[in-house]
Amino acid sequence: MVELRAQEQQLLTALNKQDGPASVEQLVESCGFPDAAVMRSALALQEKYLLTIQAATQNIIKLTAEGTSYVQTGLPERRLIVAVAELGGKANLSEVAKKAGLAPQFIQIAQGWVIRKKWAFYDSKTNTLTLNDTLLHQMAIPEGCDETLLKFIDKKGPVLIDDLNGEFKDASEQLKKRKLAVIEAKTTRILKITPEGKKVAVDASNVTPEVTQLTPELIITGKWREVKLQKYNIKAPVAKTWGGKKHPYLSFLDEVRAKLVQLGFQEMTGTMVEASFFNFDALYVPQDHPARDPSDIYYIKDPPYASLETHTQAVEQVAKTHENGGLTGSTGWGYKYNFEVARRLILRGHGTCLSARTLETGKYVVPSRHFSIARVYRPEITDRTHLSEFNQVEGIIIDERLTLRDLLGVLGKFALEIAGADKIRFKPDYFPFTEPSVELSAYKEGYGWIEFGGSGIFRPEVLTPLDVRVPVIAWGLGVDRLYMMRSGISDIRMIFSQDLDWLRRQRVVS
Amino acid sequence: MPTIDVNYAELERLLSITLDGDMEKLDDILAYVKAEVKSFDPKEGLLSIEMKDTARADLWSVEGLTRALRSYTGLQKGIKSYVAEISDVEVNVDARLFGIRPYIGCAVIKNIHLNDAAIKDIMHLQDKLDHTHGRSRRRTSIGIYNLDLIKPPIVYTAVKPGAVQFVPLGFAELMGLDEILEKHPKGQEYGHIVKRNLLYPMLYDSAGKVLSFPPIINSNDLGKIVETSCNLLVEVTGTLNKTVLNTLTLVTSALIDHGGKAYSVTINYPKDAGYTEQTLVTPDFSNRRFELSVAETNRLLGLNLSAEKIIGLLDTAGLGVEKASAEYVTVLVPCYRIDVMHPVDIIEDVAIAYGYNNIVPLWRELPTTGKAKADQHPIDIARDLMVGLGYQEVLNTTLTNSQTLFQKMNQMPSHLIEISNPKVITMTCLRNQLLPGLMEFLSTNQSVEFPQKIFELGKVILPDKAEETQTSDKDYLSAVTTHPNANFSEIKSILDSFMVAFGVEWQIQEVMHPSFIAGRAGKILTEGKETGIIGEINPGVLEAWKLENPVAAFELHLQTLIEDKQKKQQN
Repeated sequence: MVELRAQEQQLLTALNKQDGPASVEQLVESCGFPDAAVMRSALALQEKYLLTIQAATQNIIKLTAEGTSYVQTGLPERRLIVAVAELGGKANLSEVAKKAGLAPQFIQIAQGWVIRKKWAFYDSKTNTLTLNDTLLHQMAIPEGCDETLLKFIDKKGPVLIDDLNGEFKDASEQLKKRKLAVIEAKTTRILKITPEGKKVAVDASNVTPEVTQLTPELIITGKWREVKLQKYNIKAPVAKTWGGKKHPYLSFLDEVRAKLVQLGFQEMTGTMVEASFFNFDALYVPQDHPARDPSDIYYIKDPPYASLETHTQAVEQVAKTHENGGLTGSTGWGYKYNFEVARRLILRGHGTCLSARTLETGKYVVPSRHFSIARVYRPEITDRTHLSEFNQVEGIIIDERLTLRDLLGVLGKFALEIAGADKIRFKPDYFPFTEPSVELSAYKEGYGWIEFGGSGIFRPEVLTPLDVRVPVIAWGLGVDRLYMMRSGISDIRMIFSQDLDWLRRQRVVS
Repeated sequence: MPTIDVNYAELERLLSITLDGDMEKLDDILAYVKAEVKSFDPKEGLLSIEMKDTARADLWSVEGLTRALRSYTGLQKGIKSYVAEISDVEVNVDARLFGIRPYIGCAVIKNIHLNDAAIKDIMHLQDKLDHTHGRSRRRTSIGIYNLDLIKPPIVYTAVKPGAVQFVPLGFAELMGLDEILEKHPKGQEYGHIVKRNLLYPMLYDSAGKVLSFPPIINSNDLGKIVETSCNLLVEVTGTLNKTVLNTLTLVTSALIDHGGKAYSVTINYPKDAGYTEQTLVTPDFSNRRFELSVAETNRLLGLNLSAEKIIGLLDTAGLGVEKASAEYVTVLVPCYRIDVMHPVDIIEDVAIAYGYNNIVPLWRELPTTGKAKADQHPIDIARDLMVGLGYQEVLNTTLTNSQTLFQKMNQMPSHLIEISNPKVITMTCLRNQLLPGLMEFLSTNQSVEFPQKIFELGKVILPDKAEETQTSDKDYLSAVTTHPNANFSEIKSILDSFMVAFGVEWQIQEVMHPSFIAGRAGKILTEGKETGIIGEINPGVLEAWKLENPVAAFELHLQTLIEDKQKKQQN
């Protein structure tokens, strides 16, 4: 049994019904599907030896612009003869032409054709046209083959000359001569059914018809029972659908946030424009520290200064601590503190300023855990490993009993919960605002070691001026590196990638 | 972070170890002092080592680094002592320097034999100290001279720029001070430090010969060190006496490590003019004393160490002990450990000597409740809704430029937050709207399949005098659709679906906006306030972004919507 697709079967049946060979155009009409579909099915059937395709050259006729214009207005001779009839069957030519609204150059042509078509006589002495007696009593002047053909072509489009019978064939010649139509050669594909094809067509006609698209009509009428739903090539490729998706990096941060909330941390927020005081001074970074050089931190042009009016006590205590250690038991930095420098506005360089603010408000409970996911800024030239704008995940833990062991514990917990690490390792680290300080490297099978996070216990020079009486752990996570590792990207710039195609193809789950 | 270059063979010799090029092994040792190998060139035998601890300037030479490491590896524990015998060299300080570059510290080094490599090592240390610890010579700068050519006492004074000429190091002709600032490479680099003063600092000997023009350049004769120079004068000038003295300690101890013998110098400060110091003898190699509480140490570390155990660990950490009881240890901090400011610094050294990996981590169960920021939930809902409506979320930087925000959007510039020190011209200010970023995004994706539908939910930064940082950050939501048939109805339908699901009633009011087509743009109104804009993008704007398909967009002040909702719920 030959397997036929629905359209192939329809085409074969249609061709079999035709008396002998048929053109693609004819089949388009009888099958009701477009030209390309007929050809596609025909080629498939030819491959199965059920039909043959032959190219034949045939003449077609189509209208010129002039020809088309007469479809509406009528041929000039018709307009002339109608005018004669309306003027009582006999009238002066110039009067008739005027009535018919013919332009001067058409008058002679029209006059010639009314005579040739035997619609009227012309008396050259009187310059009059007289309607032919046979037409006098008719309701209308009958349409000639030329006129019929003109309308037919206009309606149907180009017509095969071979499809016209004798009378109309003559008319086509006439239209061509009058330049109202042109006759062109056209290559037509002729389909001819093979004996095998005939057999298959007859068999197929006894088979239930196949349907491609299940329609509401088929469902409602219950006709779906009578038809066969066509089998698809389910392996055929289909067009891509690009739905909406969350940004992969933001989804990753969502995941980190959820983990931290689950571990009992509450989120801190604050503005990206920050006073130097909270970004540096309160964290015991001296006012001439290189981290505050314009090459390392962005300064705001206008407005240049923050208001620290509501923080005067903290600012004064911090100033004393920087100068001589204040109440902290430290030697201090030993320089003269400048209050204006503290007010200078910057783009925050790390999220630790949010922790400093939380501690400074005094509005925390003991114990509590806090975190922030902060957009931070550094004046870097961006490359594979540097961004001038990125995110930091960090925070604090406030509790009376905290020790270095907790410092290691919190990083260990994060490595396990957030990075899914197999092994961890600690190293001494340095931050100007914590002592002791730890760096954690996490090892994950298949990824190797990555520096995953750092933490430390805030120095007394940080806590005492902010009137914090209990130990506070500060911690930070290298989330960007973790994200890059998990998503398999080696260029950090991909975080802010403007490549839509890449975003569309990113997996949602890692 | 400072990076120092050290000779690999020298490092092996000073540590008495053979590494066979095993950098991981070296990293394990360097971890004691928070350093790590940055690069290793086996051909040149050169190691580049990165120092995480920016306060430990005592590590910035191969001698200093190995001095610290030898203690941890057990080769030479405890304090390394340095001594300076008294010399009769004096420095007289001019009162006019107060307010310019007031402080100086000096030392004499005798019988030193520096080969070429040693001179390089000293110069490297000098350079690192000037740059990092000396804040690019603003705070301190170091000068080293050939003592044999100098006739003490030395005068540290302030002069009018036009009054002096001398031959600066590396040059052959006499030059005036302003000429040096203009022509000498060091003058060009550091001139800004002295230029704001009417008088410039100068160092002379008693014969009136110039030692140097601090902090710019030495003279070409007295201030030139060669292999045959075996008696030296070291000097540090600066704005902070503490840093000046610390720096002098570091340079002098390094020269002693290179085989020299140190002698002190007496500094005579003027009696008035604001100086609190009178006569100082420098360098000061004496140890500093810190009282370390055993209980406090154990409290901070979560350990249970005896005083005896702590004393052993202090020894490993290169620190000394003067006396101890069961409760307190009097710790001696050597002169070169200038980073120690507080007992916590010593406690950390105890922990490092104990070994971080020998401490059992502890995750304490604390009765704390986790909570995302108040508006995180509605923000997540908004993002979910946009995704459900078929829009891809994108992420743009908040740093941008006025070309993107205004010119390309056919808008007049408005006040926004600008950076005074931008690094690149594409990042000069903070965004005050999201839509231009989305337009930029579309412009880089002209060859990607259409339709393109994207959204961003993120912060814009607006000037706000009421806030202490003079700015407020607001969450906005913006979405764009682009394809050959994109139009107003499409985006309005999206916004409306969003608003219905988000539970916000909204109205629209026609508006003329230069970024949008006239008659196809409207203000978004919620609760009677303007909270956004919606419309079809002006073809002029499309042209500016080189976009070939129509774009319809909206930008919504989402945070206002969220705040209004929260207020309503509270009522």
